[in-house]
Amino acid sequence: MAGAAARATHSAGNHITERQDLMRERQLREAAIQEVGDEAVGPSCQRSGRYGAIARTIARRMPFEVALALPAQLTVLAVVLVPTLVVLWLSVTSWQPTQGIPWYKAEVVWLSNFVDLVQDADFVSAVLRTVFIVVLSAAVELFLAIGLALLFMEDWAWRRLAVSAIIIPMMIVPVDAANAFYMLFNDQGPLNYILSLLIGRTVQIDWLGDVHLALVPIILCEIWQWTPLMFLLMLTGLMNLPENQIRAAAVLGASPRRVFMRVILPLLMPVILLSLIVRSIEIFKLFDPVYIMTQGGPGNATETISMYMYHGAFMFFRMGYMAAAALMVLVVVITISAMLARPLMRH
Amino acid sequence: MPSTRRFGLGWVKTFVVLTAMVIALFPVFWLVSTAFKPYNEWQAWPPVWVSRQPTLQNYRIVFFPELAQKFAANEKGNLSYKVSGSAWKAFADSAIISGFATFFSVVFGTLAAYSIVRFGIGGTTYPFQFLTVRMFPPIAVVVPMVVLFSALRLSDTLTGLILAYTAFTLPFSIWMIRSFIEETPEELEGVAMVHGMGRLQVFLTITLPLVRGGILATALFIFILNWSEFLFALTLGGSKVVTVTVQVANYVSASSGKLYGVQAAMGTISTIPVLLLGYLIQRHLVRGLTFGAVKR
Repeated sequence: MAGAAARATHSAGNHITERQDLMRERQLREAAIQEVGDEAVGPSCQRSGRYGAIARTIARRMPFEVALALPAQLTVLAVVLVPTLVVLWLSVTSWQPTQGIPWYKAEVVWLSNFVDLVQDADFVSAVLRTVFIVVLSAAVELFLAIGLALLFMEDWAWRRLAVSAIIIPMMIVPVDAANAFYMLFNDQGPLNYILSLLIGRTVQIDWLGDVHLALVPIILCEIWQWTPLMFLLMLTGLMNLPENQIRAAAVLGASPRRVFMRVILPLLMPVILLSLIVRSIEIFKLFDPVYIMTQGGPGNATETISMYMYHGAFMFFRMGYMAAAALMVLVVVITISAMLARPLMRH
Repeated sequence: MPSTRRFGLGWVKTFVVLTAMVIALFPVFWLVSTAFKPYNEWQAWPPVWVSRQPTLQNYRIVFFPELAQKFAANEKGNLSYKVSGSAWKAFADSAIISGFATFFSVVFGTLAAYSIVRFGIGGTTYPFQFLTVRMFPPIAVVVPMVVLFSALRLSDTLTGLILAYTAFTLPFSIWMIRSFIEETPEELEGVAMVHGMGRLQVFLTITLPLVRGGILATALFIFILNWSEFLFALTLGGSKVVTVTVQVANYVSASSGKLYGVQAAMGTISTIPVLLLGYLIQRHLVRGLTFGAVKR
């Protein structure tokens, strides 16, 4: 304020001294900030004025580690917590965007959405179907991966080339992989042709159009795409095993099968558990191949939870009802993850 | 590490490995092969393995959709469809969204990871709340996000998708970079502090250069995730903002179903960036997809 007063006393004509004054003022202010600000003060201290002062105070009071975690935390809160609150509200309403009422004025129906959901055969079967896909795919992926990884424990000439080829599926954009499988399983596609050659008569099965078969290409696509990841995980786990234990067991006369069951498998267990958890979580969200290959059809033979909710929200516009479904799924996921957090932390 | 080095594997093992390789490669081969097939070979019986009249027609339709109408006339009315949007726009949208979202995710993730490793912020359970984000099925969050985004005028905008992608890849960047920072020696920072460096300076000049490679690997990994994402792009974008994955799903016509060749053409070029980056960070893929838990 002293600078402003000094500026007022100068005549308007003297531009040079005025500029010098301004510069001196700025230097003084910066020096003052340097004195006040401690090491935790970020770049915000360069700003001046009232908001600058507030920012400075916050920056000075806020510990360094909190400032570091803040951007990530705020982003997650904005995109997870706020929508969760909206879900809480919508789940007790019957809101549909087609009604022409804004969502915050929607009619409250309390818990009737949840009562309906539990009795909704489509929802229940979508949940069961998803769980079935998760269990089957994760189990098959694990068995194939362990079997394959055991072959790669020794070093042989074209080992690296083989690894590069086997992991190619996980490098493909999932939507494109789903398209490839859509073509392979076409009624006039190459898979039916190969089957025809093997059997000796023309096979033209409409895999994706058959209620009983439509899940097969979807599950196979999932297994094809993500067994390579499981394989890499198992291979990494096997390579990190203490080799002398395995060799000692072999020297002591244990058969390869016994070595695997008694030594390798127990040592590999942490990696196996972790892989199963990670894969199960991902398969539970299954959407892309279903959307590309069948859109949940025929009928709802391939409808997973994600597909069911997509239909409900974006084709039937039952937002309130789907919010209730989302909430139920979220509660289940949070409960399971809270249960898993402890054993995960131990490893 | 492997103890014995042999040339051969034995017949049975060789057969198993070769079979696995063929199964892994065959769908990719079919995608590439279909991309060069003319219309009459898309669904021929017996199937055409490698086209006898290879064509670039599908790629032309992908990049210059206005040609599609002319193409339809050539096929004696068998195939009448409108192709909306060109691949150029899809590539631009995907590049912008994936690029910015990756940048924010990695910057925020690095800061948070440093805070977690060196200051143990929030205790041992704190990092797990970020993992929870990844456990949510995206569709459960999409329903309220669609409502919120339209209220905030973010639906069908680049900004909206960048925000969503940033949040949903943060668990990966935090956990992956955390595992890299954990591998750096803490003593070095102590020495620098004794020499009078501030905490921010220590972070920027000592720790950051040490984990530069790890951060780059994380960034590429997250770029792959963003580029391949489909559900958010479909529901939060879709008409004004079209990513490559949504564009792939768009090549469907009412009269003749999926446009196999065109879809395959778009498929091959949309997957090439992911393929290249994937092999580039092959060593780190396992670490990324297990949130830093399994290391090579």
